[in-house]
Amino acid sequence: MPNSKTYNLSFLVLFLILMLCFLTNISLGSVYIPLKDVFNSLIGSSTEQETWQHIIQNYRLPKALTAILVGSGLGISGLLMQTLFRNPLAGPFVLGISSGASLGVALVILGSSVFGGVFMTFLISKWSIVIAASLGSFLVLLAVLMVSLKVRDTMAILIIGLMFASITAAIVSVLSYFGSAQQLQQYIFWGFGSLGNLSWDELMIFFIIYCLGLIISLTSVKSLNTMLLGENYAKSLGLNIKRSRFVIIIATSLLAGTITAFTGPIAFIGLAIPHLTRQVFNTSNHKILLPAVFLFGAIVMLICDSIAQVPNSDYTLPINAITSLVGAPVVIWLLVRKRKMVF
Amino acid sequence: MKKTILFFLFICFIACKNDPNKQLPEVLEGESLVLNYAKGFSVIDYGTYKILEIKNPWPKAEKTYRFALVQEEMLPKITLNSDEFEGIITIPIKKLVVTSTTHIPSLELLNVEQTLVGFPGIDYISSKKTRNRIENGLVRELGKNEGINTEVLLELKPDVVVGFGIDGNNRTFETIKKSGIPVIFNGDWVEESPLAKAEWVKFFGVLFNKEKEADAVFNTIEQNYLEAKKLAKNTKNQPTILSGAMHNDIWYLPNGTSTEAQLLKDANANYLWNDSKGTGSLSLNFETVYSKAKDADIWLSPSNYTSKEALKNGNSHHAMFEAFQNNTIYSSISTTGKSGGILYFELGSTRPDLILKDLIKICHPELLKNHDLYFFKPLE
Repeated sequence: MPNSKTYNLSFLVLFLILMLCFLTNISLGSVYIPLKDVFNSLIGSSTEQETWQHIIQNYRLPKALTAILVGSGLGISGLLMQTLFRNPLAGPFVLGISSGASLGVALVILGSSVFGGVFMTFLISKWSIVIAASLGSFLVLLAVLMVSLKVRDTMAILIIGLMFASITAAIVSVLSYFGSAQQLQQYIFWGFGSLGNLSWDELMIFFIIYCLGLIISLTSVKSLNTMLLGENYAKSLGLNIKRSRFVIIIATSLLAGTITAFTGPIAFIGLAIPHLTRQVFNTSNHKILLPAVFLFGAIVMLICDSIAQVPNSDYTLPINAITSLVGAPVVIWLLVRKRKMVF
Repeated sequence: MKKTILFFLFICFIACKNDPNKQLPEVLEGESLVLNYAKGFSVIDYGTYKILEIKNPWPKAEKTYRFALVQEEMLPKITLNSDEFEGIITIPIKKLVVTSTTHIPSLELLNVEQTLVGFPGIDYISSKKTRNRIENGLVRELGKNEGINTEVLLELKPDVVVGFGIDGNNRTFETIKKSGIPVIFNGDWVEESPLAKAEWVKFFGVLFNKEKEADAVFNTIEQNYLEAKKLAKNTKNQPTILSGAMHNDIWYLPNGTSTEAQLLKDANANYLWNDSKGTGSLSLNFETVYSKAKDADIWLSPSNYTSKEALKNGNSHHAMFEAFQNNTIYSSISTTGKSGGILYFELGSTRPDLILKDLIKICHPELLKNHDLYFFKPLE
């Protein structure tokens, strides 16, 4: 195992890469803005063109910050899920957080066709979608947790999570069938995922909930490390398993739920970033893994967003597709190269 | 000798020349329906029957669909090879089912709306005439276009179903065809110009033996359109136009070859993406749209947003455009029928003259003083 000095160096390198990706992400986009003007805009000075200032300050900057929050948050929630269920396939998508959020959003957007007046009065605003997605993901995860208290087999829990996802998908299908073309369009757009849709006010609320989830995750490092040894062993070490499980679930649903609510379902990151990190750092210690996943998640997301914006072109691609297209081959390559999974 | 050769050549020339009289009967045999703009269908009238060809029911369609339309009284006297046709239909049609609201205005303009017996999604229909018939229970609900309730349809026994498809794969239509009810695909939406779309009224005219009426209806629409176009052409002022809106990160707006862009061109407006080409709408980045259209004079059809507040809620960047601040945003989706159907979607393709007049009124308020906006309303 490498000593902590090596880790410090790795963290420093990763942090520098993160900064570089952040600046690259801000300076690249459909509209060419000279680097000088990018910096001027960031420090609040005037730029050559007024539109550039708005693009940098109110579009690219919040988008880059959102990318950091999304990448790191989903990575961490994936790590928490994988450790909690001791299953390398676990992640917010597999355990129903995303499908729960989808159900919540579908009920708000498409529900008016089915339930009529009651839902019509509930205005379809951005906040109602955020609240519905958060509630949906929390409830589905809670249901999985309740079952997990009864069932000891972790594989069974995973399958139950998948079943919940199937049930919610089925309900969404029924709602979609009755939805109008416009409602369907709105729901599908939500499913594409989006990082550049948040204003500074929304980003602030997003950040506060994210911090709450992050702090709870940090306080769980000890219990996460103990859990890796197995529940019986953890119990013998005096760990309150039920309480720890609950705390970890809360942290995950705060992180993944809020991210899905604000930016839509973002594929791949939650499942793959922890694996990517373990391959590179070769450790299962959460004290190292948690900050490393944070950095890796943020870097990967910034790179994906830069690609999705297709620099110097008028077009933009859905971020949800890019995360999988770019990220999955990297993980496959790492696994093939190392020939085993570190878990 | 020379004379003999010349004489021989002269004889050859005479012999090779086609005798126009010999081809005449073929030309006289069938009379083609005159179509000035529409390319997606053709009709040849042979007196006792007509051949209707649908050439382009969806983009890149590979097959031409041929239908034989036989006059009712001629039915016992004519034998046609059914293998040559998709369907043999008796005209005039007595009962039909259409599947798109864009088909409704044609029926009404030809005064044959009483033949409509079923429609998938009747709430989308806005026209007062047909809504009255719906409320009196004369038009049955058929469910959804993609999954028409076959049992109800078979019970209605329409003479024909006028469908539309985005490609050739619609299993419901296959089932309907198998049960003996012909399905004709209407390809008005594939046409590339506003007047070509409107000319599909003649397609319905043929089904009801009302070619002359359809001709008159279309001529009036065409004349109104061309007059309005001419009027707009004379003004020098060309306001700049932004269109569409953002959904998540992507701004969707019509491309330069779309009918929306053509209408704006005919209204003598400067649509900022006039030069773009391609099928389908453009999906652009916010940065691109913002840097090009920040100062646009008018913002037309901001997607499905119905108020300025909703537009701002949808994305805060929307409020950064001059048109937002100057209250020059116009939308056509607030003009709805009794049950919520959008009038522009229903009537727009048949009445491009009304759309053009609306656009001229918006872009050049000094013109068409007596015209009240029909589809568009300023966003409040």
